[in-house]
Amino acid sequence: MAASEDTVAPSRLDFDAVVVGGGPSGLVAARELATAGARVALIEENSELGGQYYKRRRGQVLAQYGDYRPDGTSLIAQVRHAGVEVFTNRLVWGTSTDRSLLTTSTTSPDAVRFSARAIVVAAGATEHVVPFPGWQLPGVMTPGHAMHLATTDAVRVGNRVLLAGSGPFLLPVACALLASGTEVAAVVEAGRPLRPSLRAAGSLRHPGMLADLARYLTILAKHRVPIIQGARVHEALAQGNGHLGAVAITHGQVTRTFEVDTLATAFGFRPATELLQLLEVDCTVDATLGVPLPVTDAHGATSVPGVYAVGESRGIAGNKAARVRGWLAAAAIRDRLGLPTPSAQQMRAHLRRSARLDAFATLSSELYAHDRRALLQMPDHTMVCRCESVTAGEIRAAARLGWNDRNSVKGATRAGMGLCQGRECAATVSGLVSACTGEPVGCQPARMPVKPIPVSAAMALEEEIA
Amino acid sequence: MTTTDIVVIGGGILGASTAYQLARAGHRVTVLERGAPNREGSGTTAGNLHIQGIHTRRPGQAVAADNLRFLPLQRTASTLWSQLPDELDADLELTRNGGFMVAETPEQVQELHQKFDLETQLGLTCEIVSGDEARRRMPALSETVIAAEWCAEDGYANPLLVTPAYLGAARRYGAQVEAFSPVTGIEHDGGAYVVRSGHREWSAGVVIDTAGPWIADVAALAGIRLDMSPVAIQMHITTRMPLGTLTCLVQHIGAGMSVKQVGAGNILIGGGWPAEAFRAHGRSRVATDSISGNLHQAAAVLPLLRDLRLLRTWAGPLAATPDEMPVIGEVPSSPGFFVAGGTYAFTLAPLWGLVLRDLVEGNSPLEPVADLGVDRLVLDAVAHQR
Repeated sequence: MAASEDTVAPSRLDFDAVVVGGGPSGLVAARELATAGARVALIEENSELGGQYYKRRRGQVLAQYGDYRPDGTSLIAQVRHAGVEVFTNRLVWGTSTDRSLLTTSTTSPDAVRFSARAIVVAAGATEHVVPFPGWQLPGVMTPGHAMHLATTDAVRVGNRVLLAGSGPFLLPVACALLASGTEVAAVVEAGRPLRPSLRAAGSLRHPGMLADLARYLTILAKHRVPIIQGARVHEALAQGNGHLGAVAITHGQVTRTFEVDTLATAFGFRPATELLQLLEVDCTVDATLGVPLPVTDAHGATSVPGVYAVGESRGIAGNKAARVRGWLAAAAIRDRLGLPTPSAQQMRAHLRRSARLDAFATLSSELYAHDRRALLQMPDHTMVCRCESVTAGEIRAAARLGWNDRNSVKGATRAGMGLCQGRECAATVSGLVSACTGEPVGCQPARMPVKPIPVSAAMALEEEIA
Repeated sequence: MTTTDIVVIGGGILGASTAYQLARAGHRVTVLERGAPNREGSGTTAGNLHIQGIHTRRPGQAVAADNLRFLPLQRTASTLWSQLPDELDADLELTRNGGFMVAETPEQVQELHQKFDLETQLGLTCEIVSGDEARRRMPALSETVIAAEWCAEDGYANPLLVTPAYLGAARRYGAQVEAFSPVTGIEHDGGAYVVRSGHREWSAGVVIDTAGPWIADVAALAGIRLDMSPVAIQMHITTRMPLGTLTCLVQHIGAGMSVKQVGAGNILIGGGWPAEAFRAHGRSRVATDSISGNLHQAAAVLPLLRDLRLLRTWAGPLAATPDEMPVIGEVPSSPGFFVAGGTYAFTLAPLWGLVLRDLVEGNSPLEPVADLGVDRLVLDAVAHQR
């Protein structure tokens, strides 16, 4: 990757379309737009394109272990070949009232504003973590992080790992950990997705997905990794040295303890919608996740003309859906920009495929359904906001005062006001407040900067004006 | 219909302080707040305690505030703030470690001296020091500072804690706090006001309008037309730094700037820079130009800010009056209907609570406020004068 991608001389750039996020959906959207003749900028916060799904191996790891997910490599090559102007190591941290995007280099603070006739938000997702006592111990991580270590970095996450939480992602992570030579003690799944049911029969309509599932289950069976369904982590316990030593799970009325040095846990993913919120698109609240979800049409068009949500930012549906969504948004934008559009037949095929993948996502979330309220019954001493050290009990006490709502609980307790800006705890705070007040689940609104930036980067905005 | 003595409309710091003083004095008080308390100007403000004379022109401000009139009020408020944590039995993160107001040009130094003379006349103890002496006391100050005024009584408190503490104390004295209760109607029914929120009604002899930027909207429900000019301003906060990174509040005589390190360690940077247009519903947007403007201004005086990380920005409303002076008193045409608001309400809140108590009880207030009355903002009277 050329170093020049990190440094941009002009402080105001204008394109036909700007795509924010270089994961599967952003890559496809950028490629489709550029191929049709649009001037496209693709902005990626990390040093490499690919996003979480198509993470790149580098250097010695690449040389020794080979390419990871080669279809990502070819997609990235297509994007570059199509003439997309790629800006890596660049964070979109805010928006102006003229709807330009405020960015800074993540390596040397600067300020570059991007304006465009179409903005495609492909910001991906965050893992949905629900706190429990001991979740802040060293040795506790998310499945996504464990996956990254095992695949992209090819390092062993720990000696013995417990995977817990919920969702189809736990299974490929377990397989990747086994492949990296790590022992997997068990997969603890809160739902009961593998129980035969009428709903499960619905998955017969998605043979490709079933084949993936069968492959994962075969690998886990071969390594004798038990899948414990309808169970959840109750507490993570420290060893004498302060590191994780054991994990207690609740399975019905029974408590079981696993001696492990690593726990990878999350309950699937939450859409990253901060930028969409700052662009003031209409959102609904996903009451299950406690996050705002953009209201879009089938192409990802939001309520703000020219602003599109694609990939996981539009709602969790996985990598395949992300690619189709990127394609569909590009098709609509090509029309908007007066560029050649795909054939009606192609359009119908992609819309059908998108609808089918969305249906699978819905089916999947139904299959993995579990009692989310039980997750929010963690003991009062549980640290919920790790940045500001706020416990579940303090959040409940503020909610029970009688005059606080979701947002004033944040003000009253500082929960969500720390370095991670609520990415870790905000959804849990929303759920806890709702459980105490009986009010509908709210959300912590996004504030600029989307992620902390150097003060000098914000100051650079003015140097540009001068 | 619930019968009470006093209905306070607005659960910000002024409403909370007033409810506390009146409930403590034995009155039956109900506070009606349209949303959650402390969520607007009172909770989004910087939380400064301005005891030395203020910088009278925040960026974009058309009319300068009158320092001479403010100073005696600030002095009395200073004493009241010192007692507040004990009085409310709450940790307010009250910090009284003094404050600098810096000057970077000879003209600003001159203005500093004029302000100092005024403060001395009024009996406030301040000190003007050279740039070198200021840097000796606070090494974080830049070389561009050529003089500074020091006031040992300046400080700050955590605005997220003060209003809830007032409300908690008011509740202990029997006040009712009705959150999520927007006032939808106010009528005068012979002897008393009837205040409605949806289908609920309260009857009270006295109504106190402390609705901040919505003062005029609430007064309009009672048929009183007031001239207010609410604006939205913005704040900027860095990630946490070790305590002691900044040792006191730093302001500027010639520019909108207030910088300090709050109890949690974050550096809070404000100064009344304008956000985008004030929104009566929902949060106003932070203005990009004010982010860079405020940060440039602050970093010129405190260069270490450049190396910190900006964590969050937010906008909040300011219940400004057209003449930039506080408003407090009874509406002449509507006996029993009181209004309190205006800028610097955070600093003045402990005082305004007591003054409103005195006015409601028909006593002479702790500080004379007749010149800050409502009549100057009553629209029909203003039109008549014109």
